[in-house]
Amino acid sequence: MSKVLFSCRSLTMKFGGLTALNKLDLDINEGDILGLVGPNGSGKTTFFNVVTGIYRPTDGQVVFDGYDITGFSPQAVFEAGISRTFQRSRLCLELSIFDNIMLGNFKTHNLGILGNIFRRKAFHKTCAEEIEKAVELIRLLNPALVGSIHRPVADLSMIDRRRIEICRALIGKPRLLFLDEPSAGMTHDETNQLMDEILAMKSDERRLTIVLIEHEMGIIGKVTTRCAVLNFGEKLCDGTYQSIVENPLVQEAYLGQEVTEDEV
Amino acid sequence: MRSSKDFFCCAGLAFALFAYLALLLGAEEEWSIAAYVLLGVVVVVVLVALDVFSTIERLVQSNERTCQVLMVLGTLGIIAVFRTDHYTLFLLGTIFIYSVAVLGINVQLGYAGVINFSGASFFGIGGYTAAVFLQHTPTPPLVTLLLGGIFSAVVGSVLLFPVLRTSGHYSALVTMAFALLLKVFLEVSEWLGGPQGLALPPFKFLGINFAEDLVLFGNEYSFYVKYDLACLLLLVMTFMFVQRIERSWMGLAMDAVRIDETAAACFGISIKRWKITAFTIGNFVIGVAGALYSMMLSYINPSNFTFSDSLLFLSILLLGGIGSIWGVIAATAFMVVIPEKFQVIQEYRYLIYSAMVLAMIVFRPSGLLPRKPRTYIAGGLL
Repeated sequence: MSKVLFSCRSLTMKFGGLTALNKLDLDINEGDILGLVGPNGSGKTTFFNVVTGIYRPTDGQVVFDGYDITGFSPQAVFEAGISRTFQRSRLCLELSIFDNIMLGNFKTHNLGILGNIFRRKAFHKTCAEEIEKAVELIRLLNPALVGSIHRPVADLSMIDRRRIEICRALIGKPRLLFLDEPSAGMTHDETNQLMDEILAMKSDERRLTIVLIEHEMGIIGKVTTRCAVLNFGEKLCDGTYQSIVENPLVQEAYLGQEVTEDEV
Repeated sequence: MRSSKDFFCCAGLAFALFAYLALLLGAEEEWSIAAYVLLGVVVVVVLVALDVFSTIERLVQSNERTCQVLMVLGTLGIIAVFRTDHYTLFLLGTIFIYSVAVLGINVQLGYAGVINFSGASFFGIGGYTAAVFLQHTPTPPLVTLLLGGIFSAVVGSVLLFPVLRTSGHYSALVTMAFALLLKVFLEVSEWLGGPQGLALPPFKFLGINFAEDLVLFGNEYSFYVKYDLACLLLLVMTFMFVQRIERSWMGLAMDAVRIDETAAACFGISIKRWKITAFTIGNFVIGVAGALYSMMLSYINPSNFTFSDSLLFLSILLLGGIGSIWGVIAATAFMVVIPEKFQVIQEYRYLIYSAMVLAMIVFRPSGLLPRKPRTYIAGGLL
C-alpha cells in the first residue's frame, strides 16, 4: 500500500448561508490519479480553492505530506509542493509562453535587485537554463510550440493554452497537481489527446499525484485510478471507477432526473 | 544578422529622425512649426499605409544596441546644434528629466500595476530634499541627488499601507489625497519657504559649476549644455535600470502581480513584496529626477508640483504605451515640446492633453509605441 500524501478531515467552507463544502473527508495516496466528479455546484472547484489557500476554510483540517497546511496562504501552499491549473484559464495572455511557464518556477531563483539587475551574466545563464527546462516540458506536450516560446500566449488555441497551463504547474516539480477541468472549452478529440498527454507525462513522473476534475465519465474511467464523488458539498463515496459508477447514491445524484422520468 | 547594411539603415533612420526633430525645435514662426508637425503626421500616415513600420520594427529589434547608441548620439547632436540656445536646451533637459520621472511611474503602474496619482509630489519631495540639504549642509550635490531619491522612497512608504490594503479606484484616491496634503503642507511650512519656495545652489560636480556658461576652446556655450548632458546621463542610466528590471525575473513577477493576483499567488509570488518593490523603486527614480530638475531650475516652489503635473506624468505614460520605455521617451518629447512650441495653445494645454488621452484610449489603447513581448537579452533572441 502506498502512503497517504494528502488528507483532509471534516473540511468545511461556508459562504454566508451557503455551505459549499460540508465536512469533507478525503485521502489521496501518493502516485494516484484521483478523479473528482460531481454535478455543477457540488463544490469541486471550492475544494481546490480551499486547499490551495485562495479561501480560508471555515472548519476542518488539511494535511499534506504529514504537515498541517490548513489556512496557509496560496504562496505557502505552493511552496509546500501543491500546484494547480484553473477552470477558466488564468494565463497571463500578453506575456510569452516562456514567461507564463517561468512563473511556475520562481522559488529556486534569486529575485533580488542585485542579482537581477547588476549581475546580468549570471542572470542570462539561469535564463538559458530555464528556457531549456521549459522547452523540454513543452516538447512532451506539443513539440510544435517549441519554436515559438517567445510569442504571446494570446496567439494560442485553447488546447495549447491548457498545455501551457499544465507546463506552468509542472515546472516547479510539485508533488501534488490539481487539474481543474482541463477539458473545459475543448472538443472531444482535443480532450482525449490532452488526457493521453497527461497520462504519458504521468508515466514519466511516477510519484506525481494528480487530482482531476472532469465531467465526462468516459475520461474519468480511462484516466483515473480512484474517484471521489461530491454532491452539495458532501462526499457521496469514493473508490474505483467501477465501484462509484455502480453505487446507487451516485446514480441518484447524477441520473436522478432520468430515473424519475422513467417512473413517470 | 548584424550586417553593415542593417547598420546603415538604422543610421539613416536615426539621422532622418533627429534632423526632423532639430528642424522642429529650431522653428520659431508658428506657421512653420505647424508645417513641420503636419509633415511629421503625413510621413507617419504614409509609412503606416505602406506598412513600412513593421519592417522598421524588425530592423530596430534585431539591432537593438546599435539603435540605442544611435539615439544617444543623435541626442548629443541635437544638443550640439542648439549649443547657444538657452530656451531649447532647457526644453531638452525638461524632456530628459520628465522621461526619467515617467519611467519611475512606469515601474509602478506599467509593471506592478500600482497606480500613483502623486507622481509630481514625489518629484517635489526629491527637489525639496535637495534644496534643504544644499542650503543647510555641505553635502555634495551628487549625494543630494541620491538623498532626494531616498527621501522620496521613504516618504512614499507612508503610502504603502493604504495602497496595499486597497486596490483600483480606492488606491488611486489614496494617492490623490496624499498629493493634495503634501501641497498644502509645503504651502504652509515656513521652514520650506511656504508658497515662495526655496532657492537652490547650482549642481556642481568635479569642480564644474553647472550654472556657469560652458567654455570650450575659447567659445562660450549655454550652461544648459552641461545640465542637458547630466540629465541625459541620468536618463540613460534610468533607461538601462528600468529595462533590466523588465528583462529579469523581477519584471516578470511584477507583470504577474499586475495581470492576475490570484494566479500569481498560486505560484508562490508575493503580491505585497512586488507592489512594495515597484512602488519604492518608482518613487526613488522620481525623487532623483526631481532633485536634478530643481537644481536646473535653481528654485523650487509648491506650484511646480501640482496635481495636474501628476496627471501629466500619467497621460505621458498612457500616450506612450504603458510599460513601453521608448514609448515613454517619445511621448514625453511630444507632450513637452508641442505646447511650448504652440504658445497659442498654452492656455488650452490640459484640454488638449485630456482630448489626446481620450483619443488614445479609444483608437490606440496600447499607446504610440506599444510594449513588446519580453525578451531577456538585447536583440530579442533569448
